[in-house]
Order: sequence, then structure tokens, then C-alpha cells
Amino acid sequence: MSLSKAEKSYIQTGLLSNPPLRGDGRTLDDFRPIALETGVAPLANGSAKLIIGQDPHGGGGGTEVLAATKLEVENVQDEGADGGRVVCSVTCSPTAYPNLSPGALDDLQYDMTTILHQTLFHPSLHPPNLGIIPGRKSWLLSLDLVILSDTGNVYDALFMAARAALWDTKVPRTRSVEYKARQSGRNAPKDPATMDVDPEEQSGFATRKLATATDFELADYWDEGEDLGGRSGWPVAITLNLVSPTHFLDASPPEDSAAPQKVLLAFSFPESSHTKLQAIRSLGSGELNVPQLKELIATGEKYAKQLFSALNSKLKEEDIRRSQKARDRFAKR
Amino acid sequence: MGSRVDLLNHAGYREDGRTQHELRDFTVDLSKHGHADGAAAVTHGLTHVLVTVFGPREAKSRAQTMHDRANLNVELTIAAFSAGERRKRSRGDKRILEMAATIKSTFEPVVQTNLYPRSQIDIFVQVLQQDGGLLQACINATTLALVNAGVPMLDFVCAVTGGVYSTSPMLDLTLLEENDVPNVTVAVMPKTGKVTLVTMETRLHVDRFEEIFRLACAAAKVLHKEMKDAVRHRTAELVSAMGAGHGAPDRENTMIMDES
Repeated sequence: MSLSKAEKSYIQTGLLSNPPLRGDGRTLDDFRPIALETGVAPLANGSAKLIIGQDPHGGGGGTEVLAATKLEVENVQDEGADGGRVVCSVTCSPTAYPNLSPGALDDLQYDMTTILHQTLFHPSLHPPNLGIIPGRKSWLLSLDLVILSDTGNVYDALFMAARAALWDTKVPRTRSVEYKARQSGRNAPKDPATMDVDPEEQSGFATRKLATATDFELADYWDEGEDLGGRSGWPVAITLNLVSPTHFLDASPPEDSAAPQKVLLAFSFPESSHTKLQAIRSLGSGELNVPQLKELIATGEKYAKQLFSALNSKLKEEDIRRSQKARDRFAKR
Repeated sequence: MGSRVDLLNHAGYREDGRTQHELRDFTVDLSKHGHADGAAAVTHGLTHVLVTVFGPREAKSRAQTMHDRANLNVELTIAAFSAGERRKRSRGDKRILEMAATIKSTFEPVVQTNLYPRSQIDIFVQVLQQDGGLLQACINATTLALVNAGVPMLDFVCAVTGGVYSTSPMLDLTLLEENDVPNVTVAVMPKTGKVTLVTMETRLHVDRFEEIFRLACAAAKVLHKEMKDAVRHRTAELVSAMGAGHGAPDRENTMIMDES
């Protein structure tokens, strides 16, 4: 959205006045209402739909992001990695950016893909249960996000949707299958002494026990599988829009173009240890000095913590709602 | 896979419990979407398509403008997670381009493009879930999105897929049926009974064609009623929201009232 100088200055003056004034009457650290639903894509292993700033009267609108994860089996020998692989991709629907040319749209989605992939799939966050058979088979987790419409604050929405979809992801239970030659039985030679066979001996140097499992099968169980490991560690992001000397959250499109610089901070809040800053990115033109940045990180953490706990309680609520729904359906049979 | 599933059992039921001529659950959502001038989300059973319409507006490039009529620009995107197996199709994928071209040629004779010279109408189709009947869902959703955007059209376009299992015709095929059964997609303008699209990717016996074709045309009339109801409901909602129910009804509303 391009604004004239006068419009920009009008918005900036409003933000800097005392008390600060915004177009929709929010305070500087207010978010628009966020709507979240998990399990929206029946063919995916985990999915979520997130809308920021939907019209409260059911009229639609707002920033809308759809996220879904899919699991595929990979051979470790071919392209897979031991312990599983994860890839992330963001697709911008032309609906969300009707004024961009296809080339610009590709650039934009590449940029978003890079930020999400590097942050979410950092080795420190790698889910522990993506391996199937060590050294042979593993899961490839692909997270696809589609931006259906953008009315500001798209990065926060992307990270929240990604977190919700990953939270919702269920990894199917597997059982490894072993093929063993029959040691004794009807076919075994009656008298081993008549045949010249070396007895199999374990070498003293073989300290490594090779996995003998060759294939796997899916365990038949009532639910879709176990939760993806490390689900509480997935980060949330917060975009601080800077209009020096102050900053504000959840920018609407005109505010977005009136703020010259933004800082994107992604925090994860592991249960056991301290808060971790997973990513930091400065967007737009302008510069920041180190003391300013320190202060922004400290305030960003505070906001992210609130967002994180709100998102968590919503995700838990969704878990209950969906398991309740599944139980009801089961009871109806 | 299909050979193990009985597509039509002796009692006359299909694998999802429908009878031969039964359509799947059809839902329409015409609520506002982002900055779009008109939007429609349509589901046929588990197939889910979202279409947004922008325009008529100035074309992005001069090369696409035509001096006597508007240009229809159709862009199709298929979500990677929409099908059973994950597959990311790029914008230049042959299949996507072909489907977009089919949608465009279906709507060119219906949309009154001559009213908007030197402009462009953008139709963005986003496929969110697929379970057979993708083209029919795209066409029905596009019709509704165009109506919602207030783009003048000669008539609705209602599409439906028909197939034949040995000798018994079936309507609105799921993915499982579509893979196994010769099928044809027909798009009809229900008021005049004109047909704007007949497309087939499989081979179908010529003796069976007429039967399926007639059946699909009849089914399109049923869909037309549903679509008209959805538009009327939405318009009534908007009119009551404006508090202008007693005053002059808007243009979209009168168009529909005339029709019935």
C-alpha cells in the first residue's frame, strides 16, 4: 500500500501524540482479535487456520493464513537424513497481493520462506520423533503455509499459524519389522558335525550393534498417532513497528507503510530453561543502535510471552474441542 | 485401488453412500475476503475452492488491454496439501495453465466484457482441498464470485461432472470414482439452456454420451437453484445490514428478483 507524505505524517503524528491515537482506536500494544482453528485440512497430518482482525460481525476480512503439515517416508540412503528432515514453504496467493506482478510475488514468498524455514527448523528445535528406522527410513515433515489475504502484520500471523499446525501434527505410530533366518527347526540340518560350517562369532571389535530392522509397518491404533515432539518449543514471533522514539504492534496496512522500520523477533519459551531468542530481523530502511536494540528485545520478550500464553491456552482448548468431537462421533456409532 | 472398491453396489449405492444421481453436499460462503471486490468459497463434498475477483480495473500491462472489451485474467493456485500426496505445483505447471485457460474460455461468452473496454477482470482461484470434481467446483465458485463482485453476466454458469460405471450414469464424482470411471464435465447456462463447456479427459462410449450429457444438464439446473438461493440470502443479509430494506434495493438484488 503506497501512501502520500501527508497521509504518512498524519499517521505518525497520531502515533506519537499523547495519548497515542490509531485509526481503529487501539492502544499501541493492542492486537486486533485473532481467530484460530486447528484441524482444518483433513488430508494433512496437522493444520491450522488463523485470521487476525476478522470483522466481528462475521463479515470476513482480516489477515488470513492457512498452515498444514504433511509427513512422507524417505529413505535415509537417498535424500533423507537420519532422524528426519523438515522443510517449510510459504505461498502467497495472488488474492492477498492483487497489485503485485507474478515475479514480485515469487520474490516475496521466497523471502518469507527463508525467514520461516531458518527460524522454525533450526537444529535446536528439531523434533525428536521423526526417525522411523535408524539409518534406513525417516519422516520428511513439510510445512506449507498459504497467505489467503494480507491486511497487515503477516509475519506474526505466519509464525502463529505455523506453531498451531506443528502443535496439531500427529506422527503415525510405527513398528519395525525384522526378517530373521530360521535358526533351528525342521529345515535345520540334523547333525551339524557332518557339515563344515563356521560357527558365527561376534567379533570383539564390533562395539556397534547394527540395526537389524529392515522395514516398518503402521501400528493399528485408534488415534492418528503421537504428537510431534518438542511441540511446546515452537517459537512465536512479534513484529515491533518503530516510529522513533516509540513502537507499536499489529500494524494495519496504512500504519504498516507509515512505519519506516520494523524489527521481527522470534522467541521460544521452553518449559525447562530460559526464554530463547530464536531469530531477529530488521525489516525496512533505518538504523538501530545497540542500546535501542537491547531495550526492544526486552520489551519484545514481554509481548511475545503474553502472545505465547494466549496462543497456548487456545491450542489446548482446540485439543479438547477436537478430542471431544472425536469421542462424540465415536459414541454416536 | 479402485478394483477392490465396489463403485456401485447391487443395492444402487456408491462407495460414499450416495445413489447414482445424488450430488454431494454443496455449500457456499460469500463473505468478504481481504481487499477483493467479490469472493466465494464453495465446497462440493470434500473439494474446497476459494475464488476472488478483482475488477473491472486497469490492466497491469498495456499489452493485455483490448480497446473494445475487458480482458479476463484467470490465475489458479493449488495448495500443496490439498491432495492425498503432497505436491507443489509451480505457476507455470501445464496442468494449472490448462485449467485456467478452460475456466477463462468458459466465462468469456458469459461475462459482458464489452461493457468495460480497456480494462481487466482478475479471477484468482485457490484450491484448498481436492476430492474430485475440481473443475466443476472452480467454475461454480467463479460464477458466484463474479456475481458477488457485481460483474454483469448474461447468466449463471453451473458445472457438474457426470460419469458412467459400466452402463449406469453417475453424477458429481469423487476422486476415487473419477480415477476409475469415464467422466465428462459440463457447464450450463441454466436460463437459456446453453452449454459453455464440455470437457473430457477419458474415453467415453458414444452411445452413453447423450444420456450423461442430458443428466448433467438437469443436475446443473439443481445447482443453479442452490447458487441463486445463496446469492439471494447474502444480498438480503447485506440489505438488512444497511437498514435499506424498505428503500431502493441494490442492483444485484433487482437482477435476481427479475429472474425469479
